[in-house]
Amino acid sequence: MAEEVKEVKPKKRMTATRAAASIGPMVKEFITSTLQARAEGRQKLAYTFIVCHHEEILRAMDVIPIWTENFAGICGAKRDAERFLQRAESLGLSRSLCTYALCGIGFDQWREELGQMPPDAPWGGQARPDFMISSGQIICDPRSKWYQASQQFMPDVPIYNIDLPYPLFQRDQDHRDVWDYYHKYIVKQLRGLVAFLEEQTGKKMDYDRLRELVDLSDRTWNLIDETYKLRRAVPCPMGTGDAMNTMVPINFMMATEKAYDFFVDLKKELEEKIARGEGEVENERYRLMWGGGLPAWYALNDFNYFNSKGASFPVETTYRMVAPLNEMDIPETRDPIEHLAWRWLGYWTFWYDKAKKRPGSEPDVERLINWIEEYKIDGVVMHEAFSCRSWHVGLIWQLHQLAKIYKPIPIYVMGKDGKREKVYRELPSLILESDIIDITSYSEVDTRNKIDAFIETLESIRANRAA
Amino acid sequence: MEGRGDSILNTVERYYKDYGLRARELRNEGRRLTGYVCSFVPLEIITASGCIPFRVRGDIHEPITTGDTLLETIVCPYYRSCFDLSVKQKYDFLSGMVIPHGCDSMVRSFSAWSYSLPFPYFHFVNIPTVCDQSSIEFFSAELNTFKKSLERFVGKSITEEDLAKAIRVHNENRDRVRDLYEFRKTDPPLISGTELTRTLTVGSSLPVDEANGLYDRVSAEIKQRERSPVKKGPRILIDGACLDNVELIKLVEELGGSVVADTICNGARDYFPKTDIGGNPIDALARRYLEKVNCPKTYRANRAGTFEGDIASRFGDTGVYAKEFKVDGSILYLYKYCDPFGFEVPARKAYYKSINVPLLHLEDVYSAGTMGQLRTRIQAFLEMLG
Repeated sequence: MAEEVKEVKPKKRMTATRAAASIGPMVKEFITSTLQARAEGRQKLAYTFIVCHHEEILRAMDVIPIWTENFAGICGAKRDAERFLQRAESLGLSRSLCTYALCGIGFDQWREELGQMPPDAPWGGQARPDFMISSGQIICDPRSKWYQASQQFMPDVPIYNIDLPYPLFQRDQDHRDVWDYYHKYIVKQLRGLVAFLEEQTGKKMDYDRLRELVDLSDRTWNLIDETYKLRRAVPCPMGTGDAMNTMVPINFMMATEKAYDFFVDLKKELEEKIARGEGEVENERYRLMWGGGLPAWYALNDFNYFNSKGASFPVETTYRMVAPLNEMDIPETRDPIEHLAWRWLGYWTFWYDKAKKRPGSEPDVERLINWIEEYKIDGVVMHEAFSCRSWHVGLIWQLHQLAKIYKPIPIYVMGKDGKREKVYRELPSLILESDIIDITSYSEVDTRNKIDAFIETLESIRANRAA
Repeated sequence: MEGRGDSILNTVERYYKDYGLRARELRNEGRRLTGYVCSFVPLEIITASGCIPFRVRGDIHEPITTGDTLLETIVCPYYRSCFDLSVKQKYDFLSGMVIPHGCDSMVRSFSAWSYSLPFPYFHFVNIPTVCDQSSIEFFSAELNTFKKSLERFVGKSITEEDLAKAIRVHNENRDRVRDLYEFRKTDPPLISGTELTRTLTVGSSLPVDEANGLYDRVSAEIKQRERSPVKKGPRILIDGACLDNVELIKLVEELGGSVVADTICNGARDYFPKTDIGGNPIDALARRYLEKVNCPKTYRANRAGTFEGDIASRFGDTGVYAKEFKVDGSILYLYKYCDPFGFEVPARKAYYKSINVPLLHLEDVYSAGTMGQLRTRIQAFLEMLG
């Protein structure tokens, strides 16, 4: 098949922090350790997804999570996803579907067909799981379809699907009016997961250990929030390019001391950089927000390109999957499962009250507005990945709504009577288009031309302001 | 509905072409119409509130324009078309809109709908992704929230009796649709696929009692038929999501096939399952919409422990229809960017193989412009079936 052809290795992205630079080896070590665990057979391995608030449960049961989105992202970053995508297509799966899932299914089918890893599999490949934990949420359909499709090629591997809904923002509804029954349901779903894991591992859940891990995660959440808020500094000590590395401990290593220690070190590093007045870029001219969309993993160098134009990214909405717990209005409980369910609801409804207070606002738009102000943002950049509806549908509308209700740039225009008038205009925005891992959708030249034009817009606004 | 000419099917065609004609009249009479998309919206609750459920449909002949300025083109083209027509005020007679968690596109675009359209009522119904006792309990609570929200909108409470009556009349509606499907069993069928889909599409734009009357009249007319409107040819099942424009079915029938069965959302998926009578009506609705509406969005656990057992359980209804309607072949017709259906293609292919029903898989973009390309592939498939 044509998929044996590998793509050209990309140039490494320059990082601004030591912490971000340490991530690559850390992920490689993690992938290697799952392969070793598979070979040794001492611990159970589970395919699963990030942002399910179940890491604590898995780790308390000594189950090793294999983050399948992570592996697909690695294939993308190494520009070695195409052969797996083509294999998925040959099964009848459309390229328009989530390419993380296509890459994973293509890889699984190939590994199962061979009875061993596909040739030259990235970082040794993705280990065969003992079971798969999928997740039906209101953020991602492929999460409950991907493993079901993979199971065709490994029918002996059972699936447990947890449902994790949250009340969608509705202007005429207070989420607190409904969240008791949401909480009750999520608790039942998580307890069902515990029962499934007990059956699969032959072990009983140690609830004291679970409580400790939940507490560790909570402390890590707050630490991440404090650390990331340091990026408000001018110049900004760490940008979104680095945050696409530091998302690893947030999303793949939660409920571990290693993740906590990582952010202790990162916080210290950022504080030192701020004390030295050291920014992500040498002469910071523009502060941008990555306002939505997963990154093109094969094109992270584009962040360096932005940097080369004096643009830094102090904040991003993508992969910042934590919120300060002390600002969440959720009930206290000693039961760790109940707490996980409340934390889930607290996270997803975090911006609801604020959004209600601003006419025309909505939680995603409200978050943009708040962070534009807190991080002193000059422009918003988004990425539309064609294969992912979960994170990318709604971004255009958010920018529309943002422009409609929030105009922070004061400029002077000539009024009807010939006098200078002060008016306010919206923040400029840029939408980049490609995919998360399908490189065939990406053009470096087009992308950089768009970036150049955007920088010119920012520069003209600067010039107007100065005038 | 006023007829014109001697055939009720001519009236159906007129109301199909001018979709929403009757709804506009009802609006002018002071009735409230509540739009909805997807088979997951519990119509019985809307009917019980005194509002009229109105299925928002797309139009494959209308280029998507305004909609694309507000919503990404990576949304399934059917749903984009529904949104585009809505923001172009095609459905300006609606008083509200209900959107369920049918797929990511529906969830992620809910704000775009609710802020872009001037309707006083909007509601999102969260549909569980799994099917077990806890999800039924959750869904019942969610349906109660929906009921309360409608009560606030219409300013009256919805009693158990209102719900029981609505359940009864919607079940009668489904019985009548079942009767129409019976006409497909003869070879060649007494009703063409084009006629049936047009009739059901029009029915979904009417108050349920009027739809029942329409189906009775169509049934009575078909019963009088002595000859089939289509030539005897391969008997085709259409498998897929919502097919509210008849062009594909018409194309199959023009090329010599007979569309005699389907699993589509505005067909068997939606109309065959009935709500249980007796007991708590909200619980009964929760069971119907979650357990009985067989949508790929709902994850159904593999209880068999084998792939063969799993597909037999997930797609068994298709096999039953294939047998019942003596199907010679199936067309799996899916829209680009549809994750719930798209990920099932390899498993559905395997299922058709297991029941020895030849399959043609087509991916399309909900546009009249692609019918020419589809013609060649469908023709070859029908020739293969003989």
